[in-house]
Amino acid sequence: MQDLDFDVLLSRVTKPARYTDGEWNAVHKDPAAARARFALIYPDTYEIGMSHLGLHILYHILNAHPDYLAERAFAPWPDMEDQLRSRGLPLMSLESRTPLRDFDALGITLPYELTYTNILNVLDLAGVPLRAAERGPDDPLIIGGGPGAVNPEPMADFFDAILVGEGEEAVLEIAHAVAAGDREKALADLAEIEGVYVPSRYEAGFTAPGPRGSVNPAGSAPAVIPRRFVSDLDAAPFPTKQIVPFLDTVHSRVTLEIMRGCGRGCRFCQAGAVYRPRRERSVGTLLRQAEEAVAATGYDEISLLAFTSVDYGPIDEVVSQLVARFADRGVGVAMPSLRVDAFSVSLASKIQEVRKTGLTFAPEAGTERLREVIRKQLTEDDLFAGAEAAFTAGWTRLKLYFMIGLPTETDEDVAAIGDLVRRLVGFGRGALGSRRGRLQIAVSVVAFVPKPHTPFQWTGQDPRDALQGKLQLLQQELRGRAIKLSWTDAGVSGLEAAISRGDRRVGRAIEEAWRMGAKFDSWGEHFDEERWQRAFARAKLEMADYANASLGFDEGLAWDHISCGPGKAALRREAERAFAREEV
Amino acid sequence: MRWISHLDLKRTLERALRRADLPLALTQGHNPHPKLSFGPPLPLGATGDAELLAVHLAEPVGPGEFSERLNAQLPAGVEVTDAWTLPGYKKKETFGDVDVAEYRVQVTGAVDAEDLQRRARQLLDRTELTVQRGGQRPERIVDLRPHILSLSLARSGSEEVELHMRLRTGSHGGARPQEVVALLDLEEDGRVVRYHRTGLYASVEAAAPGSRGVWRRWSRTRSQRERS
Repeated sequence: MQDLDFDVLLSRVTKPARYTDGEWNAVHKDPAAARARFALIYPDTYEIGMSHLGLHILYHILNAHPDYLAERAFAPWPDMEDQLRSRGLPLMSLESRTPLRDFDALGITLPYELTYTNILNVLDLAGVPLRAAERGPDDPLIIGGGPGAVNPEPMADFFDAILVGEGEEAVLEIAHAVAAGDREKALADLAEIEGVYVPSRYEAGFTAPGPRGSVNPAGSAPAVIPRRFVSDLDAAPFPTKQIVPFLDTVHSRVTLEIMRGCGRGCRFCQAGAVYRPRRERSVGTLLRQAEEAVAATGYDEISLLAFTSVDYGPIDEVVSQLVARFADRGVGVAMPSLRVDAFSVSLASKIQEVRKTGLTFAPEAGTERLREVIRKQLTEDDLFAGAEAAFTAGWTRLKLYFMIGLPTETDEDVAAIGDLVRRLVGFGRGALGSRRGRLQIAVSVVAFVPKPHTPFQWTGQDPRDALQGKLQLLQQELRGRAIKLSWTDAGVSGLEAAISRGDRRVGRAIEEAWRMGAKFDSWGEHFDEERWQRAFARAKLEMADYANASLGFDEGLAWDHISCGPGKAALRREAERAFAREEV
Repeated sequence: MRWISHLDLKRTLERALRRADLPLALTQGHNPHPKLSFGPPLPLGATGDAELLAVHLAEPVGPGEFSERLNAQLPAGVEVTDAWTLPGYKKKETFGDVDVAEYRVQVTGAVDAEDLQRRARQLLDRTELTVQRGGQRPERIVDLRPHILSLSLARSGSEEVELHMRLRTGSHGGARPQEVVALLDLEEDGRVVRYHRTGLYASVEAAAPGSRGVWRRWSRTRSQRERS
């Protein structure tokens, strides 16, 4: 398309730089020389997608290979979508402004349930048939992957193939299959790759309402798809020439992944369950990557990424060394996930980001009893010791994460959150003395969402009214100048639960919702709960069967054909252990 | 490149300076950052070839070497076209005296040039040109006329015309080229308007009533360049 015409589009949208490419380290390869051309798509805005490390990793691996090419695309904001639709233009890649349907494959991230309508919107804007069954030899292969792949069923009808697990190694095997031949041959080859699920080769059976049933191979496909994982993180490819966006993205800094996985075993946590085992990068590798990445990007901040940075063995060493090397160059060190459960104040005071944003604690529940049920290994003593150290070191702001609606939770547990926070406020006032006026405790509350492959996958979410009641209780409990309460809408959590434990039928509801205009559902101003209820009704499904129903240990579940490590028997033992103490 | 904001451009230059490994002077404190000064922001969607950036260096680097090293690290669309040493650097005041900007505006699409010429003349003949400025709260009524120092039709063809304008800019008020184009009724569908800033100036003496004043071009003149 002509630059002049594209400029007209750009002049009419907010943040035109979302669509223009040309960032430092973006890669432009000759499409004629590529044996497989990929468009990597993150189904949210540019700013959010560019903050997703997985996209940078896959872009880097594919483009580093002489035979493959990868460009990028994101979900266009509604103003850009209007411009495209009103002019009959298809969605295009950033780098070469090629219509997406002209690529050999679209690699789409499944980041989170509430982005799924954006995926359908992207396919539609690309001019690609929504359902895999409707695609022909000229359509690109639609390949998914990412956190949502551990229960691929709600999106199974829309994808030709879905990679379950980590992509560093599998992506080149997938590219090889895409390059090998026509659509049929490629699908056959993809189905052979470990960890790749080709939904069209399976039949979904349903035994009862909700996610009860099973997915079975229709032919020779494997009965169980094992998730892929990288055994040696230290040797895994990592992009140090990271693309430097012009726009301020969520993470405008060098990102180093210090550790993958988490050894803590909190029973509600899906990421902790499916990214096992816990793997670390060595200090030497990280220091080398930091030097390369700062030189290649010019960022003034290095962010250390891990589920729980403080669990990284040599965390003190790596932070001290980075600070020592980069401080006089004006480059700081940040840790976005500094949960101070195993707190070290001397460590935190070295860290720039923490200075700005305050320290975060994640007790998750208000009572010791409930923390034991969910296996959150943080005692009240730990919390107060951490808070005392933080106040002594000069912090006046703390952030606390809690969940409501956890399995076995009672109103007493919810009220205990209020009690705990109030005691912390009293403690903080005493500890801060003359600076007590600056004390601020930010309390962030989300509803428990049962997730596949966790010990709590069988537990139904509290019904909406119950969650609402608990939230109101908390709002009464948590008043006062020093307390700032924020929460996630109960309707959003309900939908998250329904899709998270969804089966293939839930895909129909997602499609209905999209047809009724749903997109950017994770953006508060776009989420319409009533529309989703109508969408489920049109699909002849009850949202409650997926979100709120408790499932039996012996029932077949819609995601049983996906194996993420621990196995159903181990999950069941964990669940029984969680609930056993209740019976004592 | 025209589609990034002034803030984005600042960040882009800051990162390029760091990649170029130039000896940047840093501010003191917890969060040290380089000492940079910029000329007035370029409007979103506009390009420019006389933009200004002052960089405070911790140790001297020759202008030639500076340009070369920075250019090697700049994304396509941003380029150092000239560099020189500023004696007596004071961050805040570096470009504080810039108060006039010169634009070249290209309009592509069907335009009646004679009619445009007439409208431009009528505009200049007015003693007051009030417009409502949105985006600010409360919305303000601004008189643009004193800020339009010159406006001329430089080139006209059947499918493209080019306007040149000098507008007052800076903290004491000013006009935006888009506002002038809107007054001329040029932003119709089917036309593409492109803005390009060609010069930044500082008033040397205040404009007397009826005169256009005297300005100094901020980017170096050729004779200055040859002397150094």
